[in-house]
Amino acid sequence: MTIVIFGGGGDLARRKLLPALYNLHVDGVLPPRLAIVGVGRRPMSDDEYRAFAKEGVERFSRRPIDARAWDAFAAALSFVAAEVDGDRALAPLGARLDVIEHERGLSGDRIYYLAIPPTLFAPTVKQLARSRFVPPPEGTIARVIVEKPIGRDLQSARVINDAIAEVFQEKQVYRIDHYLGKETVQNILVMRFANSIFEPLFNQKYVDHVQITVAEEEGVGTRAGYYEEAGALRDMVQNHILQLTAMVAMEPPHSLDADVIRDERLEVLKSLRPIAGADVDANVVRAQYGPGFILGKAAPGYTQESGVAPTSTTETYVALRVSIDNWRWAGVPFFLRTGKRLPKRASEISVHLKEVPPILFNADPGARLDPTILSIRIQPDEGFSLGINSKVPGPHVQIYPVKMDFHYGSTFGGTSPEAYERLLLDVIAGDTTLFMRRDAVEAAWQWVMPILDRWAERGRDGLAAYPAGEWGPAEGEALIESTGRRWLAP
Amino acid sequence: MAGAVADRSWRASTPEAIDADLAVLWRDVGRGETSVARAVMSNLIVFRSPASGGGDDMAALIAGAPVEEVAARHPSRVIVLEHCHGEAPRAPSAAAVGILTFGPPAARYGVELIVVRSACPEPSLLSILRRFVRGDIPTSIWWTEDISDAAPSGALLTVGRQLVFDSRRWRDVRRGAAAMAPLVRHHRVDLADVNWRRLAPLRRALTHARGPFQSGAWRSVEVGVSHAAEEAALAWLFFGWLRGQGVRCAEPTPMPQGAATAPENEGSSALLAVAIGDMHATLSPRGADVVCPEAPPLSVAAAVESEADAVAAELRSLAPDRVLAAALEAIVERFER
Repeated sequence: MTIVIFGGGGDLARRKLLPALYNLHVDGVLPPRLAIVGVGRRPMSDDEYRAFAKEGVERFSRRPIDARAWDAFAAALSFVAAEVDGDRALAPLGARLDVIEHERGLSGDRIYYLAIPPTLFAPTVKQLARSRFVPPPEGTIARVIVEKPIGRDLQSARVINDAIAEVFQEKQVYRIDHYLGKETVQNILVMRFANSIFEPLFNQKYVDHVQITVAEEEGVGTRAGYYEEAGALRDMVQNHILQLTAMVAMEPPHSLDADVIRDERLEVLKSLRPIAGADVDANVVRAQYGPGFILGKAAPGYTQESGVAPTSTTETYVALRVSIDNWRWAGVPFFLRTGKRLPKRASEISVHLKEVPPILFNADPGARLDPTILSIRIQPDEGFSLGINSKVPGPHVQIYPVKMDFHYGSTFGGTSPEAYERLLLDVIAGDTTLFMRRDAVEAAWQWVMPILDRWAERGRDGLAAYPAGEWGPAEGEALIESTGRRWLAP
Repeated sequence: MAGAVADRSWRASTPEAIDADLAVLWRDVGRGETSVARAVMSNLIVFRSPASGGGDDMAALIAGAPVEEVAARHPSRVIVLEHCHGEAPRAPSAAAVGILTFGPPAARYGVELIVVRSACPEPSLLSILRRFVRGDIPTSIWWTEDISDAAPSGALLTVGRQLVFDSRRWRDVRRGAAAMAPLVRHHRVDLADVNWRRLAPLRRALTHARGPFQSGAWRSVEVGVSHAAEEAALAWLFFGWLRGQGVRCAEPTPMPQGAATAPENEGSSALLAVAIGDMHATLSPRGADVVCPEAPPLSVAAAVESEADAVAAELRSLAPDRVLAAALEAIVERFER
């Protein structure tokens, strides 16, 4: 197997892909015969690429470098400088791959990882076809991995998907949403469908509402160029948060077959009630962070960040009230929010069950009992907890909410594999379960588009503000508090 | 036995690395031979002045307040914030994290402890607290300092549902009342005064002896109260309690020297002495005693509880103490006149 990383000299490769591959190597789960070939515009020797990879692994791997393991891993690394422009742009790469595969006795099975800007997706896959890198289906394996964002709207997503579909069959395409590779996200299915206690409760009869928070502590950092074009809705909601919603809300699949599970996730996306026109103003809050404090230190506002236009209207926070119009979830609001420069980095799903009747222990309107909440912590401190009310020991009936708490770290020990480890391994194994199918990507864009259209109409009008380091704008609080509920901070 | 620390794991950290370092500590604890359950019933933010003794081990970092004992009784994510008032504003400078384990090997539980030293301006303190509190559990603020000397700002109280303090620490009741005024008026948080608990036997004894406030027995009386040295705040709480219920009470006065021991409380110094017409009552550390001419004497014992017991009991209470709130409001009103 040969893994060809387009953008192999870039930030994603350095921070995520090479450390993930190294950890898979240490775990002994990579194919015994393997080559990893970085491809990039800037020329680099193989040794320089190994040094580049080593620096990335040292800084970002969940495990420290083991000298012997590293030597074996580094031997599999090569680098080829190539451009995707021009008729024979990938010819040098093809020649080099032939040599590497011949020297190593590799079969010619290949994975092409497009760790490059989305504007290069279409030209790159066209070059792959033109250079005969993609064999017929009955030939050797050829798979392509596509990183988000897949387009910046429905139309551009379709253009990219069409270009890929001209070269690869859908079963050869692995669209990564790295959230789906996280252990806790995978555990949602296990928790729901391997325990008899939860699944019977996951419906409109017992659930009052669901919250999903994906909070980032960091600001825009060095990604201003990308983020100015994207914003929180495109960057987080269209992909990660809608996929999490689908995992929580999906019907039980009849098998663990990849397409069966993906069909069920798609059904949820198709059941999302469209939010369009004036409904956007009532159900969606967008905001931008201003100056504030993070962990006691002053933090600049978004428009003071390097690379951001002073008049930018890009949203760094979005909160939504979403309805899923199917039998299971009718009438159960899903409150979704994400933002940059929030107080902490945390992704969490909480399922809030309905309150017990206001009699017996819940009779005092001034001291209502906490509702039962199932919290799924996706990051950090992966795990889940169930809050239940319990009597405090003593002569009086005094009730206190307590937690049944499960933590991956301390329960199973060690560190959980990074999402990219699991996802890369799945691509090698040919398992598409945790990847987004074309129809799901486009369904998500289809749902998001009316919101983007409304914002485009309104411009700055309706863009709220919040200080860095706070849990979003007052409008975000009002969105949920107007329904008698409140956000659960992670 | 609650309060006995079985083990302490701790490490120096930085504010940015606290979460990661805690995760490492939990993994280390999990590798031990004894399984340790994470116990967290609430966030407990402990505000305090920097430890005077210095030293960098965990015991030194939390010296001066019974933090471990409270954590044993009411397992919480304990966030000790040492705020250096008056220093030049700067970002958090030092931090440490630890895990305290309690209980016998068969039922061992661990509690997280985070210590942050900071001299940053108060608005930015909130960003530290928001980072470390868990949103899915109640948050209490334990103010271990003298509120009459350094009061919490309203902004800081927005992170908690409850403020636990001890009016016994007030060196100046008037200033304490002034500091409490905005807290009482705006009802941002539930107020829990550990000193108020000491008044419980006297309150119970008097309402038993004289009947409920709604009855006529309290209507035409004027109550006098005197207090031992160091117990002025307790006497003012008593004053506030009665005033809050519409009963006339004279302002507390210090007890004359040597007049502090009631015969029936021999060996136990009176903290308060109360006169209601021909009824006399005393409150001592042992409890309350009431003497009146037409009825046999009445005694109510004081609960035997340490400061940690009292703080933990307040942390477990989720309902606001409306009687205490009314008492504090009466005190505040008196000093604002």
